[in-house]
Amino acid sequence: MSAPNRSPYFWMILGLLLGGASFFLALQVGSVPDADWEIIRDLRLPRALLAAGVGMGLAIAGATLQSVFSNPLCEPYTLGISSGAALGSVLGASLGLELNFAGLALPAFVGAVAVTVILFLVSFRSGTTTLSLLLVGVMLSFLGSSLVAVWMALADSNGIQGAMVWLMGTLSRARIEGAVFTLVGALFWGLMIWRRWREMDALLLGEEGAASLGISVAPARRYLILVSSFLVGLCVSGGGMIGFVGLMIPHFLRRKVGSLHFFLIPACGIWGATSLVLADTLARTLLRPYDLPVGVVTALVGAPAFVFLLLGESRYRVGGAS
Amino acid sequence: MSDSSLAYGIYGLSYSYRNAATSKAALKEVQFEVEEGSFVALLGPNGSGKSTLLKLISGVLPLSRRQVEGQVRCKGEDLFRLHPGARACRLTYVPADLNVDFPLTAQEAVLMGRSNAVGSVFDRGGEADRKRVEWAMRECQCWELRERDLRELSSGERQLVALARALAYGAKNLLIDESLSRMDLHHQAILGSLLKRLCLENRYSIILVAHDWNLATEWADHCVLLRDGQVLAHGRCEEVLTSSRLEQLYPNAPVYISKHPETGKPRVYFYQR
Repeated sequence: MSAPNRSPYFWMILGLLLGGASFFLALQVGSVPDADWEIIRDLRLPRALLAAGVGMGLAIAGATLQSVFSNPLCEPYTLGISSGAALGSVLGASLGLELNFAGLALPAFVGAVAVTVILFLVSFRSGTTTLSLLLVGVMLSFLGSSLVAVWMALADSNGIQGAMVWLMGTLSRARIEGAVFTLVGALFWGLMIWRRWREMDALLLGEEGAASLGISVAPARRYLILVSSFLVGLCVSGGGMIGFVGLMIPHFLRRKVGSLHFFLIPACGIWGATSLVLADTLARTLLRPYDLPVGVVTALVGAPAFVFLLLGESRYRVGGAS
Repeated sequence: MSDSSLAYGIYGLSYSYRNAATSKAALKEVQFEVEEGSFVALLGPNGSGKSTLLKLISGVLPLSRRQVEGQVRCKGEDLFRLHPGARACRLTYVPADLNVDFPLTAQEAVLMGRSNAVGSVFDRGGEADRKRVEWAMRECQCWELRERDLRELSSGERQLVALARALAYGAKNLLIDESLSRMDLHHQAILGSLLKRLCLENRYSIILVAHDWNLATEWADHCVLLRDGQVLAHGRCEEVLTSSRLEQLYPNAPVYISKHPETGKPRVYFYQR
């Protein structure tokens, strides 16, 4: 039951309409003014589909991680999971683990899981505050990114250029098979998360609050974190480290549709896809003919938003409680 | 007393924390029975194991078999052999506060108590569930707060919501952990009478942990005194609360026990010598 000022269906339908419009726009505009069908089919369509899949996955993973860690500032990028996935992808690529359709999703997933396991161990140790969890995440993120840069510089003198692709996040390498794979995968794993909405709702009220409703907290958390890692691995192997989508979209939607995951997860999927299609269109056209990495666009908007969120939460202020 | 009026019983329950630096057990050989319709006050100093006991028997504490000895039996079932979820339906723990970091209205929190009943993924609770939520929130004096964000409520108001959630959940055995502690006197009185009425009319059985002894004994007809994880005494309040026991429990605090002039319930006063 939601408060009357929130109408989840309204926001979902609005998101779908906006999503359709931005998808259409993404096919229409680009560095070439009057593109023929071939350019649209081979370049813009795969890129828009990939943007939709990656945006959907990152927003759903962000919302899930926030609920699992009971922390509104969690998301794959700030927790370092994205950088773990990027490191996995890079190592996988040099080991020749690239698959036909799946690309580097498998090694990316291994990297994402490695980071989440560390976070899991850190966060459920007694005495860990939400702030220290975030700091550990940020440090893991630095570590992963630096290892990516080192590895690629060692591999080949031009490799540092390639490292930028992973670290800044770009959808320019989109191919139609990979894009469809990412979109279908994001839908599938999103559904796998959505079906556990009851447990996620209960976890909003903390460990004891959930357990007093008969939820087995530890198994639910393990499942949700594992599936989120699948999503992050999929997204990062498709588009590199794109930050802040997983932070801003859930935060915005919690205010509009509420925190109940029955609505929140699908809404995050829709709005995440829409926003990244839009962001990528901006990235392609802002400094035409240069192709900005889409991660730059999301960070330009997202990093200030993160700071505002951080300052808005009284408990993160210096001297505040916990 | 026939066996059918027994709500549940705790038999020889011992528990030790897994990572305890000291090997001291948190609970030792705890044993008492709770009848249907009875209101039990669980009293004792800080760290005596009151909350641990409630969390343990309601399934809130995750545990392995080697940490725990003894049994909790409810209607012929050994609760420790049940899934934690099944344990929570039989004995429901009411936390002292509902902490939430996300936008969530009071009504959504209480409805969670209903929608968590097992159903299909599309089942968000029907009309009956909504009625039950409204009843629980009206009884707990928080229906007016239903559209408010939990984070904006005072801790006393959140305690009303926590109680409403437990009532909506539907278990008849409530384990209430300090849930009246932050309410104002007026709400304490109303909620206390509500709990008492649920016991008398609807055969609820309630264990209430409270640090305000006089508040607890006003409604409770039975007392369990815990010290260092052991039951020091249990029985009717006026039999349990004697000055010699209290001096045993709090050696440095002189205590004076009297009776309420109207109800005859025991009243405990600590004073400065």
